[in-house]
Amino acid sequence: MEDKEIKSLLAELKIPEPGKEARDKAIRSALVEYRLSQEKKIKGFSWIGRLTGKKHKGGLFMTRPITITAGIATCIITFAIILSPQFTAYRARSTKSITVSSEKREAELPKTTLNPVEEKKMKISSLPKMVERKRQIAQSDSLYTTAHSLSESDKVTRQSWENQEYIGRDMFEKITPNPIKLVKEEPVSTFSIDVDTSSYSFVRRALNNGNLPQKNAVRVEEMINYFDYDYPLPEDRTRPFKPSVAVFPTPWNQNTKLLLIGIKGYDINPDSNPRSNLVFLIDVSGSMDSPDKLPLLKNSLRMLVNTLDPDDTVAIVVYAGAAGTVLEKTKIREKGKILAALDRLKAGGSTAGGEGISLAYSIAEANMDPEALNRVILATDGDFNVGIRDPQVLKNFVERKRNKNIYLSVLGFGQGNYNDALMQKLAQNGNGNAAYIDNLNEARKVLVDEVQGTLFTIAKDVKIQVEFNPLKVAEYRLIGYETRMLKREDFNNDRVDAGDIGSGHSVTALYEITPTGSEARLIDDLRYGSKKNSVIDKGKGKGSEYAFLKIRYKLPDETSSKLITTPIGSKHEYSTISNSPGDSRFAAAVAAFGQLLRDDPHMGQYNYDDVIALARVSIGEDLFGYRTEFLNLVRLAKTATAMGDR
Amino acid sequence: MDDYSDIELVNLAVKGNEQAFEELIQRHYLSVYHFSFKWCRIKEDAEEIAQEVFIKLIRKLSSFKKKSSFKTWLFRITINTAKDYSRKSSTRRLFESAYRNEHTNENPGFLNEDNTETERLYDHIDKLPDKQKAAVMLVMAEGLSHREAAKVLKCHEKTISWRIHQARNRLKAAFSQRI
Repeated sequence: MEDKEIKSLLAELKIPEPGKEARDKAIRSALVEYRLSQEKKIKGFSWIGRLTGKKHKGGLFMTRPITITAGIATCIITFAIILSPQFTAYRARSTKSITVSSEKREAELPKTTLNPVEEKKMKISSLPKMVERKRQIAQSDSLYTTAHSLSESDKVTRQSWENQEYIGRDMFEKITPNPIKLVKEEPVSTFSIDVDTSSYSFVRRALNNGNLPQKNAVRVEEMINYFDYDYPLPEDRTRPFKPSVAVFPTPWNQNTKLLLIGIKGYDINPDSNPRSNLVFLIDVSGSMDSPDKLPLLKNSLRMLVNTLDPDDTVAIVVYAGAAGTVLEKTKIREKGKILAALDRLKAGGSTAGGEGISLAYSIAEANMDPEALNRVILATDGDFNVGIRDPQVLKNFVERKRNKNIYLSVLGFGQGNYNDALMQKLAQNGNGNAAYIDNLNEARKVLVDEVQGTLFTIAKDVKIQVEFNPLKVAEYRLIGYETRMLKREDFNNDRVDAGDIGSGHSVTALYEITPTGSEARLIDDLRYGSKKNSVIDKGKGKGSEYAFLKIRYKLPDETSSKLITTPIGSKHEYSTISNSPGDSRFAAAVAAFGQLLRDDPHMGQYNYDDVIALARVSIGEDLFGYRTEFLNLVRLAKTATAMGDR
Repeated sequence: MDDYSDIELVNLAVKGNEQAFEELIQRHYLSVYHFSFKWCRIKEDAEEIAQEVFIKLIRKLSSFKKKSSFKTWLFRITINTAKDYSRKSSTRRLFESAYRNEHTNENPGFLNEDNTETERLYDHIDKLPDKQKAAVMLVMAEGLSHREAAKVLKCHEKTISWRIHQARNRLKAAFSQRI
């Protein structure tokens, strides 16, 4: 065998293309690591700074004595600004706008998209203050205080970052808004309910930081469903919910109408809530080592433990480089033991999320109690980078487990590296719900105030199908639910999975409908289509209905579905916005807000002020102040938009 | 950024230029992945090795001696990472076995049912001692000269020639047995 022969044989190996996701992931994680190394570099410079090399050992930058030169000092300052809380505003991928012209400018890099005036301002302001800043950096042992102690002129510079659309490295699935459908062609619309709320808290977090959220982070239905609506409950106790329907003029388009479908989950047997059999699956990887991640997570779970009943049980599984059990199944009666185990958790290492999930499920299965509610609660930033991390494979895994009656709740934490796409996939396919915990208040909302909804599923695989009447409705568009669309035939197929509803959860869906003969129609009639529509008399009986609503659901322990139907007719119609129910108006305001954040073309001239005006008169009782908070968010979005480039 | 040389990019990256660093990864990801794949021949593992390589790169960035070429240095990191990885992966597989049981019919990687001559050759190379495997990979699969391979593996050129010679004999023996 000659060398040539060996070489040519070796060259024949078929090498599969690397997965795009894997490639992106590699680049992403390397860049995160790179920033951490830069951050450490700055900490290392600080003369009284602490050398806390918890996360990544072997940071060579730290161990080497380096003299501070003017160039490096500028570099420190630039990074101090970027690593400030507003750091997230920094458009990391704006490579195009960055030019490196000479060695001199290197130290000031990376640059973001500053306009020339601001850029100049930054340069001017950075030079004379150099000495002062050097002192400040040396004195502060935290990057955050460094950034906050910068002077007024720096704030101007910083704001230019703040105004930019928040991009960060969070991963969201792309959303393409539902298209307008022609009733004559596609009279039936089918989708699965979605009780998740994570999108709203993520949007809130971005806005509170002064940034507009990235568009794919805005799932309109999740924003609407963040709020509790007072829909009527069924009179008899045999059904878990009854649909509420309203038709009222569209606030943003006077030629169309909104069709609202609302349901509120209702516990048929509130006295006999089953025991909860929970497995906490906690991400303790290096990426969780941040005040808004592991410490917040611990506090959140502490709160949850305190709301559980003495007979409920908790087991704790952690994962980082590998997965392991830190607490075997323990009754809440022994709360001290559980809290102590939570306290001991520390972050460090890589993230083998796949292993963790498989271990958590095997523990849930081993401790399976058919009388209790078995649920895995996954708390993570979703940044799985070791072991099984292919979303599709993980998805298949939880899908298989959901048939064994193990439910899944996903609690998302942190930003900058948050993998929302994966979390959604897991929750949607594992009979679960997803919430994003951005602060302790949100933890309280999800795990204390609404714990019943989070833990007790009262109906599963809830699907909604609406058939529109071509005599009354020309076009329709479902607002939100883009990631939840189902095929028409899936509705009656009990094997097709759909969203679950918890006790007290309310779900709202809005259709924007264009009545026949309206000027606002966007799709032209077909030249060769038949003029005669149907045999149904217009204005009488079925002909006067807008649509027919069908809802399918399964009770938690049943496998065949039940059907609820209701016609939507003129008795549900409100002629003006002001006489429609307050809850419907508020839902419309939230829908408008979500669509504005997404730059939806259907919004016309409607703006944030209109949203504020509409929401303000629809606040109602607002027991917990969530709707008032919404008003503030709209104001923040208005400010961010006015100052930004959108 | 396109017209910067690797070394210039490294210099910029050390000084804190993130774009320079990203460009470095973009530029070399594919070749690192290809080499890793040849080493382990499992797509997922190769992707993971490639990811790890660039993370290691950051930690070693400041210690990069400009004497050697960037490519040489990158090969060295990749080989070390791949070696570590195959050591670790045996432990890792244990952990995953519980999970794999759930997915018996799912193909864990890129494996051809009919083992071609090429694959058999790679399988034999896998059985060589690590040092010989590394030399064969660099010289035979990547087409480096003995001199270049010696730089990557930090040894004398003659050592490489000797390892290649030994490896060639072994491979010949293995092949003649089977054919």
